Amino acid sequence: MSMNIEALVNAKERGDEYAQRSLERITAAAKPEAVFGTPVVSGQYTVITACQVAAGGGFGSGIGLGTAPRGQKAEEAAAGGAPSAEALGGGGGMGGGGGSTGRPVAVIIIGPDGVTVRPIVDATRFMLAAITMSMAVAMALIRLRRASRRG
Amino acid sequence: MRFFENLVEFRDASGEPVSAHGYTVTPWSRAVVVRLPRARFVWNRPIGVDVTHDGQTVRVPIVEPNRLPPVALLGFLAAVVATSLLVRSRRNARKETAP
Repeated sequence: MSMNIEALVNAKERGDEYAQRSLERITAAAKPEAVFGTPVVSGQYTVITACQVAAGGGFGSGIGLGTAPRGQKAEEAAAGGAPSAEALGGGGGMGGGGGSTGRPVAVIIIGPDGVTVRPIVDATRFMLAAITMSMAVAMALIRLRRASRRG
Repeated sequence: MRFFENLVEFRDASGEPVSAHGYTVTPWSRAVVVRLPRARFVWNRPIGVDVTHDGQTVRVPIVEPNRLPPVALLGFLAAVVATSLLVRSRRNARKETAP
């Protein structure tokens, strides 16, 4: 039985090491190559894209060991012997998850007339913010009007 | 203590310089790395480019306009909440002083 427990603990440690190595790969997103694209030459212009990147991940693992319920032990004792190896048990497991996201922020253009940095505007974001704000204003005005009517 | 020192790391790094038309552009990025015992989080964004021309280097920042809407929204909502609280407190004060 001690062999099985040892194997269980070893398997957990191996799993943890593998997960740690996988997590270290996430930090590759911290390199500038993850943010700036490969320069693209088009005619007289060289274009470099710049993105914002976010990545994350985590894992968890655990093992549990235990003995059989009292009833089973008592049955084995009544049968005239010490609790057998089957009366002890254990198990383990691990799981993890992760994800990454990226979106363009700007374009760097190198041309004969100089270097320009053009931001990329996300129109959907601005529209959503404008709609939310206008709805909040409308609701606040309605509430204020109601409150003033009540006196 | 070492755990907290390694918990959050700010990393500024420069990318490969690109040269064209006598201009050399060196991009710079800033990464925030959060290291937890069983988790990692990385946020990396461009901060600017160093433009070298005729021996002079100028830093051109990369401004992200897309950050403006959520910040403006938060500020606006805070203003709305503050105004409504002010109006409510004034109304309550008026009610208490009324005969």
